[in-house]
Amino acid sequence: MRTPEAVPTSASAASPQPRATLPLFTANDLLWLVYFYPICWLARILPRSFLYAIGKLVDPIVQIHLHDRKEKVVPWIAEACGVTAGRAREIARRSLTNNLFGTLDDLLLLRPSPEGMLCCQGVEGRHHLESAIARGKGVILLVGHFFASRIALRYLAKHGYETLSVRNRQPSNAAEGRLGRRFVRARRSEVQQRVLPDHVYVQDPECTLKIMRRLRAGGLAAVQLDGRAGTNPLEYSFLGMRRHLASGTFEIVRLSDCAVVPMLCLGRSDGFRIRFEPALEIVPATSRDAFVCANLPRFVTVMERQIIANPEEWRLWNPYLAWRV
Amino acid sequence: MARVGSRETLDRIRRVFVASLHLNLRAEDLAYEDKLDEVAALDSVALLEFVAALEKEFEFTLEPEMLTIEVVRDLQQLAAYIDEQSVQGRPRPESRA
Repeated sequence: MRTPEAVPTSASAASPQPRATLPLFTANDLLWLVYFYPICWLARILPRSFLYAIGKLVDPIVQIHLHDRKEKVVPWIAEACGVTAGRAREIARRSLTNNLFGTLDDLLLLRPSPEGMLCCQGVEGRHHLESAIARGKGVILLVGHFFASRIALRYLAKHGYETLSVRNRQPSNAAEGRLGRRFVRARRSEVQQRVLPDHVYVQDPECTLKIMRRLRAGGLAAVQLDGRAGTNPLEYSFLGMRRHLASGTFEIVRLSDCAVVPMLCLGRSDGFRIRFEPALEIVPATSRDAFVCANLPRFVTVMERQIIANPEEWRLWNPYLAWRV
Repeated sequence: MARVGSRETLDRIRRVFVASLHLNLRAEDLAYEDKLDEVAALDSVALLEFVAALEKEFEFTLEPEMLTIEVVRDLQQLAAYIDEQSVQGRPRPESRA
């Protein structure tokens, strides 16, 4: 059995590149500026089919632009998923395409009433969620960074399952220039907030209290354990790579006695599916460390299983290379 | 006028604060007027651990609307709330801990 080891807090924070060494702008900046301004405005009025047509046109350009990044991630995908390099390359390509369409779906969520555009093709295992809610101690939805997660959370909110999303305030962007830092970052945060309005940032000093508040009221909170770790990270092997995982989730689960239900969301806004898995069996423990040791492996196993079964739908293949320990 | 908790409750909260967060200071070093997050750099998880330790010590459950940093950081408010709860005899929380 793998055992997590606590590591110092500071280990999780990658130091940002100093402003002086940044180029004035990068191709990445230009792509994001086009996305956040003209495409974002057009998305308010254009039908989804037109937006997706833009996506199909842009996809080959993005694939060429990010060719090196795709190639970097191929060996890891091959190892983590147990596939050939050729298949891993295909997964990297499709993941990038899905990323592009996922970002276009985000724009649909900025519309005043986007729920009508979210075509859910089925919700499996709803009884698992209902049973967990019926315990009355709140539910943590264990959600991976899959492209459909945001549209699924908006769809669920519309159907009576309002969920507090726990998010990272400042998504890292290693490819940004000064222009990107000046104009893209703020816009990105603003869009991020509007895509999932019911959220709390991990950087918020009240983050865990807000989650606890929701859970004690019998509500739902969505946590992405496969995301970037905050304070008090745990060093652990995830998809065959040593990296830091967030520890706060475990303390919330231990202290709140809430249920933890893994949720998987796959597809795009024009056709997606949601699956709730049976609530995880939580091993009680008297101390934080013992609780993490007893439960972290099963949390990780669930996430890894979901990702390996649907590697093209996972958005973090590239960021993880930068986050490895 | 701000509510004020009893001195005994204030002292117990100070002890819980120092012990639960393993702080390198004595409970008496905290003034009753101190804001706890100013005395020690508290991250979000530390706040939660402090709340859990308080609930265990005083055998009560903070109501959801009281789970705010304004309440949790304020010794006086906390003590007043806890005194109120003990008068009303709130049930003890159950947890996995």
